[in-house]
Amino acid sequence: MRKTFETEIQQLKDELLVLGSMVEQQIVGSVEALKKRDIDASRRIYEIDLQVNARRYAIEEQVMVAIATQQPMAHDLRLLASILEVSGELERMGDYAKGIATINIRMGEQPLLKPLIDIPRMAQKGADMLHRALTAFINEDADAARAIPLEDDEVDNLYTQVYHELMMFVIQDAKTIERANWLLWVAHNLERVADRVTNICERTVFIATGEMKEIRATDDENSK
Amino acid sequence: MKNTENRKKRTESSSLLSNLPSRNRAGRTWQLVFLSSTVIGILALTALLLNILDSSFGFVVLHAKTDPATFAVDGVALEDQTKGQLVSLLQNELSRGAYNKLENEKPFADRSRAEVYGIVIERLVKYDVQETWSLWQSVTRSGEIRTYAAGQYPGDKLIFISWLTTDFVSRPQSSEAVTAGIRTAIFGSLWTIFITILFAFPMGVGAAIYLEEYAADNWLNRLIRTNINNLAGVPSIIYGILGLAIFVRLMEKMTSGALFGLVDPTTANGRTILSAGLTLGLLVLPVIIINSQEAIRSVPQSLRKASYGLGATKWQTVWFHVLPNAIPGILTGTILAVSRAIGETAPLVVIGASTAISIDPSGPFSKFTTLPIQIYQWTARPQAEWRHLAASAIVVLLAMLLSLNAAAIVLRNRFARKY
Amino acid sequence: MTETNSVFETRSLSIFYGNFMAVTDVNINIPRHKITAIIGPSGCGKSTLLRAFNRMNELVPDTHIHGEVLFEGQNLYEKNVDPVEVRYRIGMVFQKANPFPKSIYENVAWAARIHGFKGDMDELVESSLRQAALWDEVKDILKQSGLSLSGGQQQRLCIARAIAVKPEVILMDEPASALDPIATLKIEELMQELKQKYTIVIVTHNMQQAARVSDYTAMMMLTGETRAGTVIEFEATNKIFTRPSDKRTEDYVTGRFG
Repeated sequence: MRKTFETEIQQLKDELLVLGSMVEQQIVGSVEALKKRDIDASRRIYEIDLQVNARRYAIEEQVMVAIATQQPMAHDLRLLASILEVSGELERMGDYAKGIATINIRMGEQPLLKPLIDIPRMAQKGADMLHRALTAFINEDADAARAIPLEDDEVDNLYTQVYHELMMFVIQDAKTIERANWLLWVAHNLERVADRVTNICERTVFIATGEMKEIRATDDENSK
Repeated sequence: MKNTENRKKRTESSSLLSNLPSRNRAGRTWQLVFLSSTVIGILALTALLLNILDSSFGFVVLHAKTDPATFAVDGVALEDQTKGQLVSLLQNELSRGAYNKLENEKPFADRSRAEVYGIVIERLVKYDVQETWSLWQSVTRSGEIRTYAAGQYPGDKLIFISWLTTDFVSRPQSSEAVTAGIRTAIFGSLWTIFITILFAFPMGVGAAIYLEEYAADNWLNRLIRTNINNLAGVPSIIYGILGLAIFVRLMEKMTSGALFGLVDPTTANGRTILSAGLTLGLLVLPVIIINSQEAIRSVPQSLRKASYGLGATKWQTVWFHVLPNAIPGILTGTILAVSRAIGETAPLVVIGASTAISIDPSGPFSKFTTLPIQIYQWTARPQAEWRHLAASAIVVLLAMLLSLNAAAIVLRNRFARKY
Repeated sequence: MTETNSVFETRSLSIFYGNFMAVTDVNINIPRHKITAIIGPSGCGKSTLLRAFNRMNELVPDTHIHGEVLFEGQNLYEKNVDPVEVRYRIGMVFQKANPFPKSIYENVAWAARIHGFKGDMDELVESSLRQAALWDEVKDILKQSGLSLSGGQQQRLCIARAIAVKPEVILMDEPASALDPIATLKIEELMQELKQKYTIVIVTHNMQQAARVSDYTAMMMLTGETRAGTVIEFEATNKIFTRPSDKRTEDYVTGRFG
């Protein structure tokens, strides 16, 4: 039943996976570039971002055509609406990575305030969560999707750690405030990436069960 | 693989094409068969019509009992005399009683010359038919006939006549071929058919409505339906016997009119127009029921649903929607049935239609004869002239049938309105 | 949905054709002044259920029901209830437009007349045609045959005809299935107007139509060993078409049934 439509949906899911892996690459790559202070690598992140945007628009277009021509109902409708939403989330994550690349370029000749240890970990963790969240999304695996946001705490903890560390630098020497701020901003972007992974997981649960509600590991507001 | 498949397909289709000529041939053959059956039908009808017309006209030898020359007055031949002369001739030659009877029927003062002349011919000259010829013979062998007639019947008149005349239609029955007419029979037929329609139409339509709209679909009603179909196929003579038993004998008091005090009970019997009409009514009732059922059934179910859906009762649905839409079909069926009744002879013979009746029927309790009976009776006579009269009567019967049908069709088309 | 806001309430309703059980154990409440759609695959008893609401099933010989159909709290199938009155209060529009072979005017006026309507007939005809969004198209040709109209107009004429007897409920049996998309949309728009005054129950094969027009949707399906139709899910339309709770509904509305 509905072979054509199912093929279309499969294609959309594939597209979304490609988009996701590009974003993963962006996140990890942007932090890597910063760590190595490689301006050229950061510029390449910019180029990837353009591709990510184009792909996101293509996905949107395809979803709208599917809605118009196939009149999806129930599960199909939820899936298509979610793909629309998730592709937006992915593009936004790409923007965070692009923000990190921008910081690297803006820093110019200034050295890093400190060697990066926790920030690459945050990036790794975020990319890993994103990867698994997308896999869960494609498989419409609600259980897996519900588990992933719990790991957001880990990222939040890393962020808190980075924050305190950087504050220490600033307290010791007020002149480091600008360079500390650069890194704080990078950490913040990575923390946001993880938050948005949670959104993808919420969509996955919605597709599978029809429930639309927030999944919260611990209270984000208090931990900050 | 694909190639072989394609080739297979092509050979299949070419084998289909190869038998195309034979298929077309079969089609043409059947078309020819259907055409020839139509042609045979038309030929048969034409032969019938020609046969009737052939007998309706032709030469006839008339022998006058009294030579018209004997009525010549002062050298003026009979056909040239004035009305006054003819009237006085009648006065002289007829008995007083016979003359007064004619005067009583219609005063001579009111009669035209032609009428008076007709009476003179009928009463005084008294032509008698000696020999007749058909139209075909008359046209192809007229010389031969003239010579033959002159030799065989010297002094008699050989004339070419049309047996079918207005006089023939308007005269009552008579024992003389020259003066015989079919007025009585026409009135008899019309009265009978009138009674038939009056009885069978409402009964038939009513029964059809009941069977189609009200009766449940159980074994009893199915049995009734089947048997109505069977009744339509019962030979008409059986209906005659039925009519004889029921209307003529059993219900004699009613069918003779004695019950209503309209006729003299001592001479009245059940062999009346009413009996005949009711018998024919019984005969056509199944046909009317079946045709009406068909017409009612063909009213789309959606109309009934629409009506019920608006809260109409069953009767309102039947009266306002089913019947108006079925009436053209019902009328068509009735026309066909009544046409059959007009031509029926056998049942009327059984219930005792009289043949030698010269008094027009005056109502449902009159003795009667009908056109088919008259025709049947005439054809049974040995003398050739009666067969010519029968042929003319058939022409009249056909004309009557056609005009009745035409009237009914006009009526039907008025019902089948533009909606 | 509270009790007082239900126009119909069925209780363990089963419908039989002779010995054949077509519909079984239906328990639904039809809300007032709303459009309720009945959907489901062919032959699942949608139309049969619809016709149970105004006893049109009885036109088919040998039909009978078990259970109750309450209309404003009154069981329609009680002995003292006259089906004629039921059909007068609960109008019906059919799949195929079936105007009477009479004038447009007569089509609308007829039913009112047989019910003994005494008021201004012209006014009734006009207001009914207006409510059916047909007046502007036919006001100059009221004497013409109802059959001279286009399919969509004929169907709206049938709706006007149903409205003219001032029913409380209008049952619609696939009213737009024989119409083109534009005519269909007109009927659907009209239904939105009509629900201000009437409760509407519609059977439709067209899921998009059910999704577009209805407030509530009853999903029917053949179930059990008897293969009789029943309502497997009755919910707000929004929910049925986005988050149905029954897997069979899900399969049906996403086109993966069977």
